[in-house]
Amino acid sequence: MSVALPPGRFSRLVLKVNVFLLIALALVAAFLGLVAYKQGWFVRQSPLHFVTLNALGINKGMPVKLHGFTIGQVSELKLAEGGVDVQLSIVSEYLRRIPQGSHARHAREAGVIGTAVIDIVPGEGTLPLAEGALIQFEPARGISEIIDDFRRQAMPAFNEVKQAMSQVGRSGEDLKAILAALRLEVEQLPATHRSVRKLVEEATKATTELSQRAGATLAATERVAHGVDRAWPALSEKLNASIESIDAAAVQLKRTGVQAEATLRDARPLLDHSETAAREAGDVLSAAKRVWPLSDTFKDASDGMLPIDSFEAQGKGRVR
Amino acid sequence: MRRWRAACLVALIAACAAPAPERGSPAQARLGEAEARAAALARSGDYAGAARFYGEALRIATSLENADAIAANAINLSIVEQWLGRDAEARAALAAVLDEPRAAFTERRKTQAELRRAILEAASGNLGAAEVWAGEAERRCATSCEYAAAILNVRAQLALDSGHAAEAARLAAAAFERARGEAGRAEAANALRALGRARNAAGQPGRALEPLRQALEIDRSLGDPRKILVDLTELARAADAAGDAQAARGYQERGLAVSRAINDGRSAAETEVLLRR
Repeated sequence: MSVALPPGRFSRLVLKVNVFLLIALALVAAFLGLVAYKQGWFVRQSPLHFVTLNALGINKGMPVKLHGFTIGQVSELKLAEGGVDVQLSIVSEYLRRIPQGSHARHAREAGVIGTAVIDIVPGEGTLPLAEGALIQFEPARGISEIIDDFRRQAMPAFNEVKQAMSQVGRSGEDLKAILAALRLEVEQLPATHRSVRKLVEEATKATTELSQRAGATLAATERVAHGVDRAWPALSEKLNASIESIDAAAVQLKRTGVQAEATLRDARPLLDHSETAAREAGDVLSAAKRVWPLSDTFKDASDGMLPIDSFEAQGKGRVR
Repeated sequence: MRRWRAACLVALIAACAAPAPERGSPAQARLGEAEARAAALARSGDYAGAARFYGEALRIATSLENADAIAANAINLSIVEQWLGRDAEARAALAAVLDEPRAAFTERRKTQAELRRAILEAASGNLGAAEVWAGEAERRCATSCEYAAAILNVRAQLALDSGHAAEAARLAAAAFERARGEAGRAEAANALRALGRARNAAGQPGRALEPLRQALEIDRSLGDPRKILVDLTELARAADAAGDAQAARGYQERGLAVSRAINDGRSAAETEVLLRR
């Protein structure tokens, strides 16, 4: 049993399929083109190369930098006479910035750690390097070499410390002389003891005289106390009156505080309302600021950025 | 007709409508707070505190993969680190933008970062590296780019430091042409100062005085004592070279007063040496 199809539904079907395939093909080609462009396949590259005895740590694709700026990458490594021939692909536009006499070195972005790169150290020449030129290479120093270097530099310091320690050891001989002097001092101690006892007796005599004088002073103080006793009742009355008035003031203040608290409690909903209203008004204002045509007027000019001022290039920037 | 009018009105209202203000996630709120605190500390002169908060903002922006905030905070951090005299840290901060080719930074942010790197290298005396980064920023920056004047000023500074006074004068004049509007006044003053220095270096001290005086006027209106001090020092040098010893002495004394006021002992000592000559 055949179902009747509406007339014209599959008419020019081949044409439609072909158009669809063509569009798909064009899209795929455009995507490939975009990928190629992003990968830098359309950028002209110039080769440079160097030969190293040991290519450990050098990989294909490793970035090549000049003044910290990426100008190319390691394109190929191959075994050659006397080591490994490392080919570099440099963006042709940057080749003119590499003067003759430049050399490459294996470096890391943050000293001992960080991403490994090939760093081009510019030479003194005025003309740029030619395409395919052979340049010198300075391999990276290994940990053992760094330790050796450190040992070479630290050894004299260690020797001096050793000498100083042996001098301290020799000074132990002087200790005997010091002990003998100390013994002599100990023998003289009884005489010193007698002198101290005499000093104590004289001090006792002086203290007796002092206590006699203190007795006279105490009598005078007693006279003053009598005077104070007479004046005290009047002073006490005045003090009482003052305390009473302070007490009354405190009671009044407490009453005022209670009233203020009640007023604040009444005003609380009003304050909450005001806060909500202010927040909503802020929202409305910020929304309004973002609505055309006001958005241009209220655009934040600073963009949250500190000023990028060419004056800092003079090295005066730090003196602020 | 009435239907069409109603439709037009609805379309207009829809076009004007803006989304409700986004409250954002807690991390976004922390990012905004860190940025605001860093900016406030930088304004109040606490650069160490500002660097701490810009670093925190950079960390949060990185965790949110917010490319624009990463770039903005990295650039701000590099500026503050340079003010603190920590050039290596300033360079490392910029690496967040310059060494990340996969991140989707805008051309404007890339230009800012490259310009900042050029400024840093120039300030450290790495003229070759500064030239490379300024070239990159210039390549990215179209003629009407807002940083055209600053880039030209950096290049003028580099030419001056390399002993090419004529080239420096040409670049400074071009920078002055590009520095437009209120925002460009600082760069206009920098261009005039560079022009004056270039003319003085080229043996034309008489012609150097006018641009230096204009630079001083702008810097005084902008209120930056560091620049006022440099202007007065350059004016003293130019007046001295032009044979006007009295004017030179006047500028030196004014420079000394400014230097003492901003507590820059080093510059004060230099100016005193100039005065004794």
